[in-house]
Amino acid sequence: MSLLTSLFGKKSSSANVARDRLKLVLAHERASNALPYMDEMKAEIMEVIKKYTQVKDIHISSQNNQNIDVLEMEIILK
Amino acid sequence: MSIVITVTSGKGGVGKSTTLANLAVGMADEGKKVVAVDFDIGLRNLDMLLGLENRIVYNVIDVMEGKCNLSQALINDKHSKSLYFLPASQTSDKNILDKVKVKELLDTLKKEFDVILLDSPAGIEGGFEHAIAFADRALIISTPDVSSVRDADRVIGIIDAKSEKAQQGEEVVKHVVINRVKPELVERGDMLNTEDVLNILALPLIGVVPDCEKVISSTNLGEPIIRDTKAQSGEAYRRISKRILGEEVDYLDLSVKKGFFKRMFT
Repeated sequence: MSLLTSLFGKKSSSANVARDRLKLVLAHERASNALPYMDEMKAEIMEVIKKYTQVKDIHISSQNNQNIDVLEMEIILK
Repeated sequence: MSIVITVTSGKGGVGKSTTLANLAVGMADEGKKVVAVDFDIGLRNLDMLLGLENRIVYNVIDVMEGKCNLSQALINDKHSKSLYFLPASQTSDKNILDKVKVKELLDTLKKEFDVILLDSPAGIEGGFEHAIAFADRALIISTPDVSSVRDADRVIGIIDAKSEKAQQGEEVVKHVVINRVKPELVERGDMLNTEDVLNILALPLIGVVPDCEKVISSTNLGEPIIRDTKAQSGEAYRRISKRILGEEVDYLDLSVKKGFFKRMFT
């Protein structure tokens, strides 16, 4: 941000709104993009589970706590 | 050492093929032997931008399927002896590209050319994947608007996942080209500025191309704007071509002339 805007403030221009909206939506999307192999992995896990029991859906979420990346998987059975 | 550069964007209509056509001419003018390959299968367009649509006999798919020799399909540019063009096919079968054959083709092209420019189709599907799979470098074209930047971000996020090079632990060098910038709008705060776009995409810049009415007539004529020595956008493309080849070139001054005070603070 330029010195002028930070000194005197600025009426929120449409470009600033665009920037903020983009940042928000991308923060959200990147979290779900971060693991590009997710869909394939999910399908494969599903196949394996199907061999043994009936599965309805799988939810996988990723989290990072401090320095550990965690994949959390929830398997919903029929 | 030859290099494969994929030009991509995510969103369509942001000037991907126009940029590629201009950079192809630019790098050929810099003395490199360049081939521009249209990988937008089914939606051939690069031919018209280069003004070579009447010379097409064979296309890239014909080459890959062995229906003709590479030399039969390559079209020499009207003006530059060191620029060649390999057209896309107009088949509607999107799945016709095959990774093994793409690699074979690129390996053959590498023997003859210094720079291989691949025009990727818009989107993130099969065609894009084939265009990026063997790239050494990627140029991501974005206009300064929310949909284009968003799609560019998405593409950037998946380039490494689809790249053979990245899977072997090497890096695909990525740069952003910001296209169709309107300096007056940026100054007024009604268009995202370069800094905003780079901040969001978190990639280095290789060029900013100002919006330019002359591009439309140059497209009409099939003469890339870079050949117009007076056009500002042409100059921008010329400088990008040099930067790609490793030269350090100043960025175009796109600020609206408003005097000393304003410039100090923006």
